[in-house]
Amino acid sequence: MNSSSLLARLRLSGSGGAALRVRFIGVLAFQLLLVIVFTALAPRFLSWDNAQSILFTAAILAMAAAGQTLVVLTGNLDLSVGSIMGLVAYVVFDVSSQAHWLMAFTVPVAIGLGAVLGLINGVLVAYLKIPSMVATLGTLSVYRGLVSFYANAMEVTSGELPQWMRDLATARWLGVSSYVWIALAVVIVVGLALSQLPWGRKLYALGSNPRAAYYYGLNENGILVGAYVGAGAIAGFVGLLLGAQVGNINSLLAFGIEMQVLAAVVIGGVSIWGGSGSVYGAALGAIVLATINNGLVLVGVQEFYRLLFQGLAIVAAVAVDALVQKRVLTATHRRVILEVAA
Amino acid sequence: MTRALRSYSAELLLVVLIVLAAIWSSQLSPYFLDTNNLMNSAAFFVVFGLMAFGLFPIVVQGEIDISLASTLAVASVLFAKLSVAGVPVLVALPVVLATTAALGAINGLLVAYAGLPSLAVTLGTLGAYRGVAYLLAGDAGVTGLTKDYTFLGMSWIGVVPSTVVLFLIAALVIGVVMETTKFGRYSYAIGANPDASRSASVPVRQLRVGAYAIAGAMAGLAGFVWVNQYQSARGDNADGAILFVLTAVVLGGVSIKGGSGRALGVLLSTLLLATIQTGMKLANVPGTSQTLVIGLLLIASIGGPQLVSLIRTSVLRLRRSAQVGGEAGA
Amino acid sequence: MSSSTRSIRIIGAAVAATLVATSLAACTTTPPGTSAAPASSGASAAATKVFMSPKFTGLAYFEVARKGGEQAAADLGLDFKYIGSDKAEATEQIATLTNAVAQKPNALVVSAIDGDAVAPALRTARAAGIKVVTYDADAAADARDLFVNQLSYELAATTMLDAALLNSPDGGLVAFISASPTAPNHTAHVKFMKQAIDTNPKYSKFKYVDTVQFAADDAQKSQDIALNLMQAHPDLKVIISSSAVSAPAAEQAIINAGKGGKVFATGVALPSSVKDFIKSGNSKAFMMWDPAELGYVATVAAAQLAQGKITAAKGTKIDCGKAGTYEVGDNGEVLYNKPLMFTADNIDKYNF
Repeated sequence: MNSSSLLARLRLSGSGGAALRVRFIGVLAFQLLLVIVFTALAPRFLSWDNAQSILFTAAILAMAAAGQTLVVLTGNLDLSVGSIMGLVAYVVFDVSSQAHWLMAFTVPVAIGLGAVLGLINGVLVAYLKIPSMVATLGTLSVYRGLVSFYANAMEVTSGELPQWMRDLATARWLGVSSYVWIALAVVIVVGLALSQLPWGRKLYALGSNPRAAYYYGLNENGILVGAYVGAGAIAGFVGLLLGAQVGNINSLLAFGIEMQVLAAVVIGGVSIWGGSGSVYGAALGAIVLATINNGLVLVGVQEFYRLLFQGLAIVAAVAVDALVQKRVLTATHRRVILEVAA
Repeated sequence: MTRALRSYSAELLLVVLIVLAAIWSSQLSPYFLDTNNLMNSAAFFVVFGLMAFGLFPIVVQGEIDISLASTLAVASVLFAKLSVAGVPVLVALPVVLATTAALGAINGLLVAYAGLPSLAVTLGTLGAYRGVAYLLAGDAGVTGLTKDYTFLGMSWIGVVPSTVVLFLIAALVIGVVMETTKFGRYSYAIGANPDASRSASVPVRQLRVGAYAIAGAMAGLAGFVWVNQYQSARGDNADGAILFVLTAVVLGGVSIKGGSGRALGVLLSTLLLATIQTGMKLANVPGTSQTLVIGLLLIASIGGPQLVSLIRTSVLRLRRSAQVGGEAGA
Repeated sequence: MSSSTRSIRIIGAAVAATLVATSLAACTTTPPGTSAAPASSGASAAATKVFMSPKFTGLAYFEVARKGGEQAAADLGLDFKYIGSDKAEATEQIATLTNAVAQKPNALVVSAIDGDAVAPALRTARAAGIKVVTYDADAAADARDLFVNQLSYELAATTMLDAALLNSPDGGLVAFISASPTAPNHTAHVKFMKQAIDTNPKYSKFKYVDTVQFAADDAQKSQDIALNLMQAHPDLKVIISSSAVSAPAAEQAIINAGKGGKVFATGVALPSSVKDFIKSGNSKAFMMWDPAELGYVATVAAAQLAQGKITAAKGTKIDCGKAGTYEVGDNGEVLYNKPLMFTADNIDKYNF
């Protein structure tokens, strides 16, 4: 049998799909638990207005987490996501504030610039074989250094941003913030790309079993670079949106966000070893983090506890995820052996 | 002889880079080649060096720990609070070091016994331990430490600050342990091939917990050095330092996948980073350039050798296909 | 065990023992080779060397103060350098200061990111004859000669409350966002604001939320907190922040949520950051001071100290030319005390 049919057999139909669904349920259960606890402590938590607020604060993180998922699925990391977001946002908005004709094209330019920065990451990891943690740790510094250098400690003030983007940040469509809709769209598009496109399935295959993928003749380097380019493009886009949301932009925009993004991905059930998890889970992980932040402010808890609870939440989510994975893995193992033998 | 040279290639490269960096730094600033300045700068890096040596065995085993800076903060705040409460330093030391070793062991248990991915676990404890540090410190910070807690930070052995000597001793201990003890050798084995090690009845899980506990203790020691040098403690001490520590370990030739790397390499990379940073700061190089240089150094030092071998293999391939083409055409 | 293992262990033990032995024997507390005091501590032939070290170099606010410092250098003929890291980390500023001391300047002008952690480095500087003047954020009092405080904590508090009153003349519920629990000026501001609301009849129309939120000078975090605060307290009227990053970011968040003009954010902000809010009418007032003049005064004070023209004794007058004359108060604190209130009437006057 040829590689693609074997791949098709091994992919997420029946057995693997069940695994995904169960992991997603784990995160969902965790989120429900949070909702119950917070509602009990602060009844105002359970309102449409508050839910909207949570979704809005989660939107940026959810999109960034979706981009990061592409890379994590291959078994790698992108620690430079914050620096890409900051660099793209600052440069694009600064240039467009001087070259006004550019204001209509900020989105494609941002996506392009982010893709280029992601391409560099991809080349370093795929072709120069630098371990992704090391490579993106390096580009984290380099990209942040670049924006710091470019900015020269000056701000791009809110009045200099394209008016349509500022309006976008405040816009509401069907009563829900535009950013939430955009985040939903991005997450669904990435999710569909992963599940429907051959490239997406190859991504999962590469992550779950790199050696087998090699023998099946998958173009490992191409897939890897593609994942980083995708992550970079999304990061560029998200950085732009974050900039418009924040208003006054300095060279420290999105500094340190990579830890939050990784936390969202991990809580969302995406395996850090690669090969399993979904963007929907990662997006839900972002919502979990936003819920914790919101709930703690509503309950009136001190800031220090937020760090503590967030940290514990991450450990708990990972533990639950590992438990679920073990159960399902033993179950699917038996089924796959039967399938292949058949 | 050549084989020995080749096995130490990473360390030799670092030595060359250190010499180059020293020359460059002395050109950048006339203040560089001053014993006093060098010693003061060296003292500054002790905290990071201790954490790097704590991280080293963990990375050799093929895992990671990004929570060490938060553990340092717990230690520094504990030391400061105990000092203000009048507890003698010789009592506080074992208590706090045991506490931080326990914090490390928690990481180790979650990774080794619960089988959780170390990056995710330590991402969680990074936040959790930092929160604990803030809770312990309360508003503002802790100051007014007693002399016995800050003595080490204000004493010299000859021209060398005591904290630097402490670091060298600790580095030596870790280095000898990793080279000569069963713990060290098994750690390399675990990193290189965890499954084979398990089958060979190596106590993988206990060793993992041990490595994490050691890392916790080293972070605790770093916290002790912190209060010695800065005579104060706050919840946000060393926030973000883990990136530098990770850079030092990786730059030292320790493979992030595990199974290889030497303590000597970590020592040399710490020295290299210290030389470059000191040189740049003495020359008042703008902060942004400093960030750029460190990032590029990391990429170049790991990617450089790979790039060279990549070029070599492609040149070889071109030559070989030319040969084959020539023969076929003849 | 193999012979190489044994030999390594023996060598290692020997080295460690030697190190420990020499340490115990040779331990001293006198710093080796104390460097001579810098050249000009009186009348100077060479130009007075002054280094300015902000918390970190990435913030626009510090750049404006830098311009003031550079202007002072031009006016007084100083050798002026602006130093620092672009990372907001205490260890980075400590490294900067340690290496600054090594270059033997005559004076340091410092805004401390962690006033206690940088204190040892500053004490070393003073011991070497370098004059230390802090501005914007103080260090431990015994680690510096003078502290040029932009506004006394009480004045800062009342000015911010005045800004709040301009935004919401009918008073209402107030919430506070600070940078971090370890920022002494922010903590003091909040304390005095709460006190003023409790005791001063002018602010009697305000009530406040007791728990203070912290945003670490991060714009996105400030926004999330502002949104969550509005959810937690539906009758919230004003969010006040001492952080020049958080105050404008919170206002933008309020506008994003569609509550511009109903809920207000105010506090410390650069006029350029809030010009848009004031012009659009979403906000009525923000406050600050002139960072350039602050930097100017701090630099002049440092230079005069280094040149022996003034001392740090209480009551000393510092003549800063067109920037005014200031007096040293208790604990070496020099109060600049020139708050600025930015409203629709005057926002166009300012270009920083």
